Amino acid sequence: MYEKEKGLVEAYRRGGMNRRTLVKSLGALGMSASTAAILVNASATKALAADFDWKQHSGKSVKLLLNQHPYTDAMIANLDNFKELTGMEVTYDVFPEDVYFDKVTAALSSGSSEYDAFMTGAYMTWTYGPAGWVEDLNEWITDASKTNPSYNWEDMIEGVRKSCAWNGQPGGALGSDDAKQWCIPWGYEQNNLAYNTAMMEKAGIDVPTNLDELIEAAAKAQAGNDGIYGIGVRGSRSWATIHPGFLSGYANFGEVDLTMSDDGKLAAAMNSAGSKDFHAKWVKMIQDSGAPDWSTHTWYQVGTDLGAGKSAMIYDADILGYFMNGGDNAMAGQLAYAPFAANPDASAPTPNIWIWSLAMSKFSRDKDAAWHFLQWASGPEHGLFGATQMDFVNPVRESVWADAGFRDRLSSTYPGYVDMHDVSAPGASIKFTAQPLFFDLTTEWAASMQKMVAGEVPVDEGLDQLADSVNSQLKEAGLG
Amino acid sequence: MEHTSPLERILRGIALTAVVVFFMFPILWIVLMSLQTNETILRSPPSMVFEPTLSNYQAIISGQLTGNTATLEIKFMGNLLNSIILSVGSVALALLLGVPAAYAFARHKFRGSEDIAFTLLSFRFAPPLLVLLPLTIIFQQIGLADTYIGLIWVYQLICLPLILWIVRGYFEDISPDVEHAYRIAGHSWFATFRHIALPLARPGIAAAGLLAFIFAWNNFIFALVLASADKQPVTVGALAFITASGIQYGQIAAAIVLSIAPTLALALYAQRYLVEGLSLGAVKG
Repeated sequence: MYEKEKGLVEAYRRGGMNRRTLVKSLGALGMSASTAAILVNASATKALAADFDWKQHSGKSVKLLLNQHPYTDAMIANLDNFKELTGMEVTYDVFPEDVYFDKVTAALSSGSSEYDAFMTGAYMTWTYGPAGWVEDLNEWITDASKTNPSYNWEDMIEGVRKSCAWNGQPGGALGSDDAKQWCIPWGYEQNNLAYNTAMMEKAGIDVPTNLDELIEAAAKAQAGNDGIYGIGVRGSRSWATIHPGFLSGYANFGEVDLTMSDDGKLAAAMNSAGSKDFHAKWVKMIQDSGAPDWSTHTWYQVGTDLGAGKSAMIYDADILGYFMNGGDNAMAGQLAYAPFAANPDASAPTPNIWIWSLAMSKFSRDKDAAWHFLQWASGPEHGLFGATQMDFVNPVRESVWADAGFRDRLSSTYPGYVDMHDVSAPGASIKFTAQPLFFDLTTEWAASMQKMVAGEVPVDEGLDQLADSVNSQLKEAGLG
Repeated sequence: MEHTSPLERILRGIALTAVVVFFMFPILWIVLMSLQTNETILRSPPSMVFEPTLSNYQAIISGQLTGNTATLEIKFMGNLLNSIILSVGSVALALLLGVPAAYAFARHKFRGSEDIAFTLLSFRFAPPLLVLLPLTIIFQQIGLADTYIGLIWVYQLICLPLILWIVRGYFEDISPDVEHAYRIAGHSWFATFRHIALPLARPGIAAAGLLAFIFAWNNFIFALVLASADKQPVTVGALAFITASGIQYGQIAAAIVLSIAPTLALALYAQRYLVEGLSLGAVKG
C-alpha cells in the first residue's frame, strides 16, 4: 500500500474520519470504490484482531448450510477477510430457497454433523429449539473469553434481537429473561408500503396512512390506471400469507392470534370483535382491488407484479419493494416507500417481521469454532460492509443504520426507505404467539381467508369456524 | 386400396395439427420464453413478437445469473453433469443387476422367488423420506454420504424394481421353446441367455431402461437430502433461478430446454431400437 493510502486508512481506524470520507478520499487517489471498500474492511478486520484472540481456532474448518440469498452473497464476498482474521477454513453449501428448509430439516432431524451452522428464520427455531437441534447461543454471547469485546450484542435492534429468543414454553413471551437465544439475527424484513409513484400520481391519490385510506387508495389506483390492480398482498394457502402485511396491520389494532389464560392454556383470538372488523376490511380490500388470482400469490407474484407494473402498491416486506426497484424490472426506479400504521389511532407502525438468522447446530463437532464464524458474520464490521457494498438490506444493527454512507446510498435510489425504516423499527417484532403448532394453525388461517375472499363463507362465520378448529387442535396437543 | 377424399385428408390434417399444437404448445412457449428477457416475458398482455436473445443460455452456461440486485453464481451446468452421472450410472448398474435377476425370476422358479421380487418392488412403495433419514446416518458412518457411488446406490430404489419387473414380463412373454432348442444344440444356459433371451427381450430392456432413466433424471429428494450442493441434479439446480429478489423466467425456460434435451435425445434414440426390436419379434407362444 502507498503511504498516502495507508495514512488515510490509519486515520479512519483512529476515528479521525468517517467511512464515507475515507472511501471518497481513496477514490480521489485513483482507487476504485470497491477496492477501497475491501481495503477499509480489511483494515477493520485488523482492528478487530487487536482486542481478541481470533486465531484461537486457526487451522480448523467450519461448514455452513446457506440459503441462496443476497445476504449469503454479501457474506461470501467478505469471507476472505474472516479466513485471514482467524486462520480458519470455511466451506458452505448453498441451496435454493424453495428446497432450503427441507434440506435443513433433513440435516437436523437425522442428527447430521455435516453442518456446523446454518441460516434459518426465527419462526423455524420454534421447532428446532424444543427439538434439541440447535444451541442456545446465550452460552457464547455472554462468555467474554469466546466473544470479542466489540461484538456489541446490544447494538442489535431490540425487537429483532428479542424475536430470536424464546423460552420454549408455548405462549412464552419472546425475549423474556429466561429465553434461549436460538439464533442470531442477520438481516430482517419489516412489512410496509411500497408503491408506484407514477400510478399514484396518475390516479391523483396520496400515500395512504391507515387501513381505510389504503382500501380507498387501492380502489382509486385501480380505477385510475388501465390494466392494473390496486394492492398486492399474499394469498396462497400458506402460513406466509398471514405473516407480512396482514399480521402487521392486525397487530396495529392490538389484535392477537392467541391468548393465554392464567393457567398457561392457549386459545384462539381470531374471532374477537376487533379481529372480525379487521378481517372484513382486509377481505373487502382484496375483493375490490386485489390481484384477480390473489389466492395463488406468494412473495414472488406480489413482487413480480409490482416490478412489472401490474399493481400500484404492495403491503408486504420492505425488501421485496427494494428488490423490485432495480434490475431489469419494468418499474425499476419508479417505486417509493412509506411506513404504514393500519390503525388511525396508533402512534406508529408495528410491523411483524421476518428475520433471516444464523443458528448453530447441536450436532456441530466444534461449536466454539462455529461461534467464531457466527460472531464475525453477525458482527458490526461485516454488517456495515454488506449494507454499504452489497445488498445486505435490512441490517439488524443500529450502528449500521446510523451510518451516513448507508443512509445516503439508500435514500438516493430508494425514496422514503430510510424514513420508513426509522419510523417503524421501534415497533418491529414478531407478533405471533410462539408455540409449536405455529405453521399448522397459520396455514389454516390462510385457508380460511381464501374462503372468505372467495365468498364461500361470511367473515364472521369463517372466523368462528377457524377459532373452533384452532381451539380443538390446541387442546389435542395439550396446549389449550 | 383404401380411398380417402381430399376433404377427409384436409380435415384429418387439421385435426392432427390441432392435436400436435395442443400438446406441443407448452414446449414451444418454453422455447420462446428461453429466447426472451424477463422484461419481455412479463409484458402485459403477452406477445409472440420479440427480439430474440441468447442471453439466458449464455448466463446458464457461464454460470453468471444477473438478478435484480447483484450477479449470482449459478452452477447449472454442474447440475446437468450431475444428473447425467447419476442417471446414467444408476441405470447402467440397474441394468447390470436387474436384467439377469429378471431372467432368473422369469425362467427359474425357486423358493422365495416371488417374495424377493415383491420385496424389491416394495422399495417403490416406501415414502422416500422414510428411507432417507436413516440412510443419512448410515451413509455418514460408512463414508458414503455425499458421494456419487452412494447416490447411485440409493437410486437403485428407483431403477432396479422398474427394470426388474418390466424386463421380467418380457422374458416371460418369450416362448421358452426357442431357448430349449438352443440348449439342445449344446449351448450353456449363459450362452442361451446372452444370444437368445437378451436379443429377444431387447425392446423390453430398452423401454425399461428409458423409463428408469426418466425416473432417475426427475428424482429430486435423494440427492437433496444425501448430498452437498456440488452434487445436486438439475431438478434441484433449476430452483436456483427462483430467488428472493425475483424469478428469472427466461433463465428457468432456458434451463428447462437444456435439461429436457438429454432425455428427449435418449427417447428418440431408444425409440428407434424399440421399433426395430418389436419388428424383429420372434416366436410367440
